[in-house]
Amino acid sequence: MTRDQRDLDELVKRLLADPANSDHPMHYALSQLWLAHRELLNRIERITHVSDAYQSIAREREMSLAERFDKQLRQLEKVARISDRYQQMMRELNIALEEASTHDVLTALANRRLLMERLKAETERAGRLQHAFCVAMVDIDHFKQVNDQHGHDTGDRVLIEIARVMQAEVREYDLCGRWGGEEFLILLPELDLASAQVVVERVRLGIRKLAIRQGTEALTITVSAGLAAHLPGESYSDTINRADAALLRAKQHGRDCLVLAS
Amino acid sequence: MSDFSIPRSQSTPAIQGNWSEGVLSMQGDSYPENSYELFHQVFEWVERFLQDAGRPLTLELHLLYLNTSSIKAMMDIFDLLEVAHHAGQPVAVNWHYDKRNERVADLAEEFKEDCTFPFAIVGF
Repeated sequence: MTRDQRDLDELVKRLLADPANSDHPMHYALSQLWLAHRELLNRIERITHVSDAYQSIAREREMSLAERFDKQLRQLEKVARISDRYQQMMRELNIALEEASTHDVLTALANRRLLMERLKAETERAGRLQHAFCVAMVDIDHFKQVNDQHGHDTGDRVLIEIARVMQAEVREYDLCGRWGGEEFLILLPELDLASAQVVVERVRLGIRKLAIRQGTEALTITVSAGLAAHLPGESYSDTINRADAALLRAKQHGRDCLVLAS
Repeated sequence: MSDFSIPRSQSTPAIQGNWSEGVLSMQGDSYPENSYELFHQVFEWVERFLQDAGRPLTLELHLLYLNTSSIKAMMDIFDLLEVAHHAGQPVAVNWHYDKRNERVADLAEEFKEDCTFPFAIVGF
């Protein structure tokens, strides 16, 4: 309220209150005008008040919405983060499962399933591209005696050590696997019999040089091997059978040697 | 209010609510197509327990895999517990995991992050 207005208000109040003015012809009109003026002022004040209240409600709501939005956003980010990590975990479990389903637990070499898969693929490739491949069957000599005399833990260690040597002595693209028990299979792609013989001999001699510590003594292990080249049109199980027959002859010839299949 | 029990299925965990002991347990994987259907009954049970039971509530979780909507549902349940905790009600979570899979512990750790109530990650 300005000073002039306040002065005017005071003047009007004084004039209306003065008994000398009570009979003045404008007294009634002024008093009515004064009342109407007061009422209008009151109403404006009330409207202002209500309007302010509405504004503050709207503002509060906006703030709580923003707060809820922020909270939801944080939760969403967290859900996404956790979900990503679960998926990552599943992916890694899948890889581990795949590895477990294709590899031997003890030696970590390819298992029979993976060997058969690769043999099948290699046979198809050989038919298509006229490429040769060879299969070697390798069997530990007198493995039963190792187990019987030194226990299964030692037997397991022998298997692990032999697997390690085999893996180290073959070429990068050859596949070594545990065919079963103490029998191993080596798949040698893109090699003829003579070249494959060099690789398998290297494996055989490598195993022979191995000295596996057993208490104070060192065990010497030998293996017998049979090697067959895949023949055009032949199934891989036929190739394996011929390698197996060659292995049998190696055993019959006094073990610790490699025999080529006819 | 009574106990409830949902048997395990291919894509949902086994869930048991024990009203008198104040224990809610879950075991298994959770990747249902409609996780709302599964979890709303769990959510309601927890909500009602916190409102009516006047006893401590413990969650015993043996969960391995959770899909995205199950993660959201678990966070909503933990939010309920958080509110109850702030109101002075005793609540606790024990998240059990197989020590051969430490990643589950890391994930439980993520859930725990915003919780101020007792939240134990227990290896077995």
